[in-house]
Amino acid sequence: MGRRNLSFLIGCALALGCSAPSKPAAPEIADLTPIPHDHPPIAALPDPELSGGHVGRAPRRISVAQLKASIQTTTGRQWSQIDKLAASLGSADYALVNAEATEPNLVFAKFLEDGAREVCLATAQADLAESNPDKRVLARDVAGNLADLRQLSEQTRRDNLIYLSTRFWGQPLAGAELDKWNASFKAFAERAEVAKKRREAWGALCIAFMTDPRFITY
Amino acid sequence: MSNPRISRRNFLQAAAGFAGTSLLGVTPFRAFAQASSLAAPDRCFVFLYFSGGFDVLLSLDPRDPKVFTPERVSETRILPGYSLLSTDASFPTDVVRPQRRDGAPEPAMTFGPAIGRLAEHYDKLAVVRGINMKTVAHEVGFRYFLTGKQPIASAARGSSTATEIVGQLKPAVPVPSIAYGIESYNDRYPGAANALRVSRANDLILALSPSATTLDADIEKQLVDLRGQSVTCESQLYDTRGLVSQYRQARSQMDDVLGSKLHKQFQLDFEANNAKDPAIDQRNMARAALRAQYNLPATGNVNYDSPAGRAALIAIALKQGISQCVSMNLVGGLDTHFGTQLTHATNQRAGWNAIADLVDDLRKSPHPAGGNFLDHTTMLAFSEFSRTPLINSSGGRDHHISSSALLIGAGIAHNTVFGSAGDINMAPGVVDRKTGQTDPSGVNILPEDVIATVLAAAGVDYSITRTSPLEGLLSG
Repeated sequence: MGRRNLSFLIGCALALGCSAPSKPAAPEIADLTPIPHDHPPIAALPDPELSGGHVGRAPRRISVAQLKASIQTTTGRQWSQIDKLAASLGSADYALVNAEATEPNLVFAKFLEDGAREVCLATAQADLAESNPDKRVLARDVAGNLADLRQLSEQTRRDNLIYLSTRFWGQPLAGAELDKWNASFKAFAERAEVAKKRREAWGALCIAFMTDPRFITY
Repeated sequence: MSNPRISRRNFLQAAAGFAGTSLLGVTPFRAFAQASSLAAPDRCFVFLYFSGGFDVLLSLDPRDPKVFTPERVSETRILPGYSLLSTDASFPTDVVRPQRRDGAPEPAMTFGPAIGRLAEHYDKLAVVRGINMKTVAHEVGFRYFLTGKQPIASAARGSSTATEIVGQLKPAVPVPSIAYGIESYNDRYPGAANALRVSRANDLILALSPSATTLDADIEKQLVDLRGQSVTCESQLYDTRGLVSQYRQARSQMDDVLGSKLHKQFQLDFEANNAKDPAIDQRNMARAALRAQYNLPATGNVNYDSPAGRAALIAIALKQGISQCVSMNLVGGLDTHFGTQLTHATNQRAGWNAIADLVDDLRKSPHPAGGNFLDHTTMLAFSEFSRTPLINSSGGRDHHISSSALLIGAGIAHNTVFGSAGDINMAPGVVDRKTGQTDPSGVNILPEDVIATVLAAAGVDYSITRTSPLEGLLSG
C-alpha cells in the first residue's frame, strides 16, 4: 500500500472516530454530602471603627507619570510644563533623587492648579468649536452647538456632571454632592454668559474636577 | 423596638458636614500656623547638604601634610594631598589656621585648604569630627542625616528634622519649611508641616507666583466656593489616613501664600522709579546690597541655582520672615571617584564660601527680637559621608564611613571641636559623649546625636532621635 493511501485511510478512520455519536453515560446520583476541604475560614473585613477608622491600604497620591497619563486620558491633551516641572512635582531623576516623592504638598497643589488651568481652558476652547458631542471632552451630553449655557436643562447638566465625574475620577457624582456641583455648574454658566466668557464655565468645571483629591489619589 | 443609637452612617454624615467647614476652608493652615505673617521667627534653622560626599581632609578635619607624608602612608593610611592643589594659587597647600577676630577668643580649630572665607567665622562655629555614618551609600547617608534615624535599607524613617521642627514649633510664617534640591519627609504632622519642596530656584518662585491663567473674578470665587463645600461621609472614610486632608491643607496654604505675593521678595530686578518714591528707592538699595553681599551680578538676571545664589535665597527666606527652616542642597560635584583633588576642592570651597557669605549677612542683620539674625539661627552643614583618606589609582577618592559636620550659630558652643577621627585611616573616633574627648570606653558619634543636639539647641523635643544631645556642643 502506498504511503498516500495509508494516510487517506488513517484520515478517514479519525474522521469517523471524531464524528461518531458517543453513547451517553448513565447519569449518576448526585452526592449531596459536602466535600471536605482544608480552606481556612475567610475573615470578614474588619470593622473600620475597630481599626482606627480605616480598612485596606492607605490611599496614595499619583506619581508624575500617572498624572501625565491621567491628564492625557481625561482631556486628550497634555500640560506643556509637566516635564519641566517633573522634578519639583516629585519625579525622581535617579541621579540626585532616586525615590519618587508623592507628598501632596504646596508645590504639587500649586503646579497642578497651573496645569489644570492651562489644559482645561484649552480643552474648553476646543469643545466650543466642536459641534459633534461625541468628539467633545467636557460637553458630551449637550446636543448640537454649545450655545447659551443658561438654556441647558437640569437633566442635561446633571448627566454631564455624572459623565465628567466618571471620566475624571472613575466615580459618578450622586446625591447631595451632585446637587452641589450642579448648583456650581449653573452659577458658572450664568456668570460666563453675562461676562461673555463661555469657555471659562466649562474650563472652571474641568479645573474643579482635575484639582479634586479624587483625581490625584488612588 | 427602635434603636435609639445613631447609626454610624448618620454619625459620619453629620461629622463630615461639621468637618467640612474646618477641613476645607482656610482655617486649617491658619490654625496650624496661627495667623501667618511676614515676621521672622524667633528661631530659624538651615540645613546645608554637600551632595556626593565631601572630603573632610580639605575642610573640616585636616591633617598636617608635614606629618602625614607620602612616605608614612603605609603606616597612617592618610594622604592629605594638599600639594595637588598647588596648580591653583588661591588654595593654600597647608592646614588653615584662622586669624583671630577682634573681640573673639583664639581659634580652637584648624581647617583644610578648601574652607575658603568661612574660616573667618570660626568664633561662631562648632566642628563635629569622626562621625560614624554606618554607611557608604549616598541615599542611605543623606537620609540618615536628614532624619536623624538610620534608614531601613535605603528607605528613610520618620520625618525630616526640618519637618519635626516646624511640626513642633508651628511657626507663624507663610512657608514654614523650604526644601531645595533635597528630600523631605513627614510621617506624623499635618500637611502644613510639609516642606515646600522644589528642585530649582525658578520652581520655588513659580510656586509662590500667581497662576499665569486667571479666570473671571466671579467664576474664580465660585470655584473657591465649590472646593470649599462639605465632603461626604464616603470621602471622610477614604481620608482616615489623612492624605486628602494633607492635600486640602496644601491648597489652603497655597491660597495663603499666593495672597502674600511672596514671589516678589525673591525678585532682584530693580524697579523703575521715575516718581522718586522713597519706598522703591529703599527696595532697590536692598536688592543692590543683597547682590553685592552674595557676589551676584550687579545688574541683570540673577541665577539662584549656584551656591552663592542659594545662600542668597536662604537669606531672603529667613530675613523676610517667609520661612523658619530652609533645607538646601548647597553644592554638588563632590562624588569625585575619578576627579582630581583640585576639582573637588574648587566645588567644596564654593559651598563654604556661600555659607561664609550667609553667616556674614546674618551677623550684620539685626533681628526684630534683638541681637542679629545669626543669634536666632542654627545651621547644620553635612554630607552623606566623607571620602577615603587615600587617593585611588584614578586620582580621586572613594566613599569613607567616617565624616564630619559643622554647626553654626544659635544654641551652639562656638569655637569648639567635638570628637575626632583616628590618625590611622581616619577611623570614626570613640569619644566621651559629654566632652568629645577621645575615651577608650566612650562611644562613636552618630548622626542622630548631632540631630538631637540641633533640636536641643533650640529647646525642641529631641525624643524622636532616641538619643541625647552632645552636651559639649550646647552653649550655656
